[in-house]
Amino acid sequence: MNFLVWRLHRNQVYWAAAALAALAVLLIVTGTTMANDYHAFFATCGATQSCSDAGSVLFRGDGAIIDLVNATLVVPLLFGLFWAAPLLAKEYEEGTQNLAWTQGVTRRPWLNANVMWVFVAAVVWAGALTVLVSWWRSPENALSPRFNAFDIQGIVPVAYAVFAVALGLAVGSVFRRVLPAIATTLGVFFAVRIVTAVYLRPHFMTAVSKTLPFGFSTRGAPAGAWILSGGLVGPNGHYYGDRLGLDQVPAACRIGAFGGKGVTPTCLGAHGFHQQITFQPASRFWAFQGIEAAIFVALAIALVAFAYRMVLRRDA
Amino acid sequence: MTLAIETIGLGKRYGTTWALQDCSIQVPQGRVSALVGPNGAGKTTLLRLLVGLSRPTSGQAEILGLAPGPSEEFLSRIGYLAQEVPLYKRLSADDHLAIGAHVNRSWDASGARERLAALRVPSDRPIATLSGGQRAQVALGLALAKRPQILLLDEPVAALDPLARREFLVSLSEAVAEGELSVVLSSHLLHDLERVCDHVILLASSRTQICDDIDAVLASHRMLLGPRRTVSDTGRGFDVIKATHTANQTRLLVRLNGPVLDPAWEVSEVALEEIVLAYMGMDEPVSAGPLTSVRTAS
Repeated sequence: MNFLVWRLHRNQVYWAAAALAALAVLLIVTGTTMANDYHAFFATCGATQSCSDAGSVLFRGDGAIIDLVNATLVVPLLFGLFWAAPLLAKEYEEGTQNLAWTQGVTRRPWLNANVMWVFVAAVVWAGALTVLVSWWRSPENALSPRFNAFDIQGIVPVAYAVFAVALGLAVGSVFRRVLPAIATTLGVFFAVRIVTAVYLRPHFMTAVSKTLPFGFSTRGAPAGAWILSGGLVGPNGHYYGDRLGLDQVPAACRIGAFGGKGVTPTCLGAHGFHQQITFQPASRFWAFQGIEAAIFVALAIALVAFAYRMVLRRDA
Repeated sequence: MTLAIETIGLGKRYGTTWALQDCSIQVPQGRVSALVGPNGAGKTTLLRLLVGLSRPTSGQAEILGLAPGPSEEFLSRIGYLAQEVPLYKRLSADDHLAIGAHVNRSWDASGARERLAALRVPSDRPIATLSGGQRAQVALGLALAKRPQILLLDEPVAALDPLARREFLVSLSEAVAEGELSVVLSSHLLHDLERVCDHVILLASSRTQICDDIDAVLASHRMLLGPRRTVSDTGRGFDVIKATHTANQTRLLVRLNGPVLDPAWEVSEVALEEIVLAYMGMDEPVSAGPLTSVRTAS
């Protein structure tokens, strides 16, 4: 059975291995340079310039690489689109399931082998990718919140890959045509990813609120925190959100002609205004990774169970 | 002796349409059976039910005493060639044979290679580059390499040119001659199959009309020619399959129940194709049950 999977898909394996190797070379070379720059900068920065400018010395001339690393966001989806969705759909579309399922082995071991190897391939590829990207980004992770690049490092890329593959299999087992399977995988994957990232992820754990002195910035927030919202709180304790109407600004703090647009932050501070932020602390990064990964793996398990049902119970 | 195929009231419904209904047939082992019927009569449905690719809505089937289903015991005994001649386009015949060796208990790769070599089918080139006839030969080779006890072929020659058609049927006949093999070949044209078959299963209107050895079918059908009369007053001794009238003559294709006693009829033998076409033209089956006579294997 494994031989059949290998014989049918070995070209995909070769191409995937070549692409991963090329990416690894690129990231290792540029990542090493970047890490060296980073360490060199901190060795000398105190004397010549401010150490808080570290971001400006890193990533010089590496714009394309940064884009490439950010683009690895879509890699898990590619496994779903080009490996998993056609896996069953192409068999049905070309009628080869009629050949495969009338050989001397039953459908279940056939399906087991196919499903197992597509998952192994996706997990190995995505695992290698996330290790590379997490390592490549380590200087930047030290400088900016890791939450900003939540989706391309840690363990979630592997979970996304597992989900994308399960989705592709399930959709392929329903539509039995390659193009509809690919299109549906694309749409559903994006929908689930966006809903999770935008609506669910901020609420995985209760956000922490903190009151800061007024300053029009979040600099007072804990390092590396994921800021969910920031707004003004008035002297009476009223929360204004991030917009303060002019009529709510104490007259003494308005500047410019006709009580113009400008407002002095220090004046607002002196009149009892302060800033409130809600955030997820940097220390929760791995907990969030775990929760998000668990969600996608759970969805994947349900989808695989569904695909099994479709293949084993429905007529070929 | 176990029957090669036995079905009882087998039926398959897709939505509200019955693709096959109330199909009860018995085919002894060792027959080369032509499964004929017009398009949409349920030939493909019947074959797919028999090999376990789909599940019946009603009734049951047995192949060599085993129910079609997901068991290696069953799968190792059947060879199946689907209508569209499914093969992996980018793989070669050699690749298919190598895969087959891994997914079958018994596998005759060398026999299949020799057969393909004899037919000059390039076994190292991707299937996509082969002609239709060559693909059919590869697919037949794969089905035979399993060393099945029963081989079910769904319209294997429909897409082939006459030469490839003949070569395919010759290959099949040779395989049948080599071993104890039961074969069912479907086609909407009996003519394709008559040369190699000794048994016929006729499906029409989603029901079985005939399931018998060709000799027996020929022996039991006659053409009657006589003066014009209505069919209802023709008396017993036969069932009318098809009646045609001219101004002063009536021509009947009948299935005999006994001797034709009325001397007004001129009785003559009928070709199998004519019998089959007559059944296909009927809207309703002749009798409630299918016509089946099983001869014990000699």
